[in-house]
Amino acid sequence: MASFRYPIGTVRALLDTDHVTPATRQALQTRLDKQPEQPQFFTPDEADLLHQLSARLFPQPDTRPSIDVVSPVDHRLAHNESDGWRYDLLPADPDAWRQGLNGFQEAAQAQFGKPFTQLDGGQQDDLIGQIQQGTAIGTSFTPLQSKRFFEDMLAELVSLYFSHPLAQEEFGYVGMADKPRWDRVGLNELEAREPGAL
Amino acid sequence: MKTYATNDVVDAVVIGTGAGGAPLLARLAQAGLRVVALEAGSEKDPTKDYATDERAQEFLFWNDERLSAGDNPLAFGSNNSGTGVGGSTLHYTAYTPRAQPDDMLMRTEFGVAANWPVDYHTDIEPYYDELEHFLGISGPSDYPWGPKRKRNYPLPPLPLNGAAQLMQRGCAQLGIRTSPAANAALSGRYYQEGIGWREACTNRGFCQAGCSVGAKASMDVTFIPLARAHGAEIRPDAFVTTFDRDSQGRITAVVYVQNGQTYRQKCTTVFLCAGAVETPRLLLINELANSNGQVGRNVMAHPGLQIWGEFDEDVRPYKGIPGGLISEDTHRPFAGKSADFAGGYLLQSIGVMPVTYVKQMARGRGLWGQALIDAMSRYNHVAGINILGDGLPYDHNYLELSDELDARGLPKPRVYHTDGENEKKMNAHAEKIMRDIWSAAGAKNVWAFPRAAHIIGTCRMGHSPDEAVVNANGQSFDIPNLYISDNSTFPSSLSVNPALTIMALALRTADKFLMMRNK
Repeated sequence: MASFRYPIGTVRALLDTDHVTPATRQALQTRLDKQPEQPQFFTPDEADLLHQLSARLFPQPDTRPSIDVVSPVDHRLAHNESDGWRYDLLPADPDAWRQGLNGFQEAAQAQFGKPFTQLDGGQQDDLIGQIQQGTAIGTSFTPLQSKRFFEDMLAELVSLYFSHPLAQEEFGYVGMADKPRWDRVGLNELEAREPGAL
Repeated sequence: MKTYATNDVVDAVVIGTGAGGAPLLARLAQAGLRVVALEAGSEKDPTKDYATDERAQEFLFWNDERLSAGDNPLAFGSNNSGTGVGGSTLHYTAYTPRAQPDDMLMRTEFGVAANWPVDYHTDIEPYYDELEHFLGISGPSDYPWGPKRKRNYPLPPLPLNGAAQLMQRGCAQLGIRTSPAANAALSGRYYQEGIGWREACTNRGFCQAGCSVGAKASMDVTFIPLARAHGAEIRPDAFVTTFDRDSQGRITAVVYVQNGQTYRQKCTTVFLCAGAVETPRLLLINELANSNGQVGRNVMAHPGLQIWGEFDEDVRPYKGIPGGLISEDTHRPFAGKSADFAGGYLLQSIGVMPVTYVKQMARGRGLWGQALIDAMSRYNHVAGINILGDGLPYDHNYLELSDELDARGLPKPRVYHTDGENEKKMNAHAEKIMRDIWSAAGAKNVWAFPRAAHIIGTCRMGHSPDEAVVNANGQSFDIPNLYISDNSTFPSSLSVNPALTIMALALRTADKFLMMRNK
């Protein structure tokens, strides 16, 4: 089966057409235009760690500017915003994030004797796997807390990343171009504005 | 639009404008009562304010933090909650199958949960019929399961999308019957009394993040305008915190905060319709209607296991009504033999929005790195199938107040949820069937996402004041001028999506209230 990758610029071109409503256009254009902000919640070290972590969690093509997921998380935590729930066994989100990110550093020190940010990609991936499985040594989370924190963190980061029009273009999503309607909705039925795979 | 002063003693204050509050509000207003609805969320214009973008639509969810405990903690936010004028119906999938009569007799049939204190044929079915025609439900002319309906659905089914066609194909090979599903989204223009014309569904596939065309029968385009046309006042952004009571304990006013100001709306009756978390939470905070300690007990959720797969065909899971196809052949999967679990479930095809899908891959498969990018690159080939099953109440599943305060200074609710043996056996049974269906349909890279949907219970209705919070009419045993109308009163969770039944009970509660009042 074909993997999708739309021609670069597909989504941006659609944004300027009548297939996209003004509200949708505004939401996506704002995201496209958004520049990274100085962290308010994260320390510079934490922000740096999260940047490097994100690069392992969803490697981005080097042919375009990188999508920033650190600022939206930082903004949420700085303003104490919630997504409606959290695992009871984890501390409140700001503490969970601080403790969780610190866990990567602690595990890096315990295993490699240096900070996470100074490890190579393969070493970082090993530690990410251990945090995800709850088997990392040297961290303050219990194994179940470690698993739950990682799951929550990953879910939030990938939601931010794959909400970005540039990331959506790369997996072939044009659902935002839903005006006036979709008539061809069955298997293998495409509208003219839905390109096939490259 | 009619408005009331807070010193006017109105006939009823309705707290919450979702599936439990809005139908009742309209009914009372139509009977000439002076009614005010207090809605915690805001009011928007979907045609202008709603974007086809999941992140931009997060305002539809109840985002005050809830604490999820137990071995199978329930996800809230986008999964199980809603806010705004219209409540959770603003983001429900519009899937509106009827419950079957035996869904309400789980105690009689299996010795579990509790029987509903109402009669299916006289108390529920007439309201299903009324609702299907008022809301403009699209569905098949010949529905294969349950009692024969008095009238056909008013509109033909919506077109089947890729996932629905695939489920049809897989089920046909296995001899499982399927049918286009009943959906509360219009397959054609529809004229609605008190409202006017509503436009047909444009197959945006975005029901779970809000309908921007008014085709989905959420409360904001159906019962809310009807209620307003008959003089009801709706106050958005009004968060109820407590009540004033007289020396007999009857409620005399509802106290709420709006834009930082506290108001007291005087009234003679209160209808609490805030859903199965906020309804018990408000009662527990104020130590009300809980003389038997039952408020917050009997938390239930629907086993909602999903099976996902990738197909050679172009599926484009963002198009079409998400739940296009249904099978209720698994309603009683062991009919004639001894069942190894109680109750049953329905099967449903599912389309999916991209961010929802990737979030589930993160939580359910733990995918990251190149594996995640590769899996997401096949999004256009993805289709899903899921169950909606009867989840039982257990002593170990309940809601309580935590010591943690939220931004409003109120205790956050903590909800315990751990599957029992029944849910485990049901999920195992369903996983095998769904994997077989997807395999017959040609799926590759099949994976399972265990989940639970729709929190239910917490203020059970019943005949006995020792065991229930409200009677069959929704009236509190402790406080006679307090009624509850939402999914918190369900004695068992049903093997179908709850919205249609919540609305049916809401209309019935309103009718019973009006009947007693006129005596």
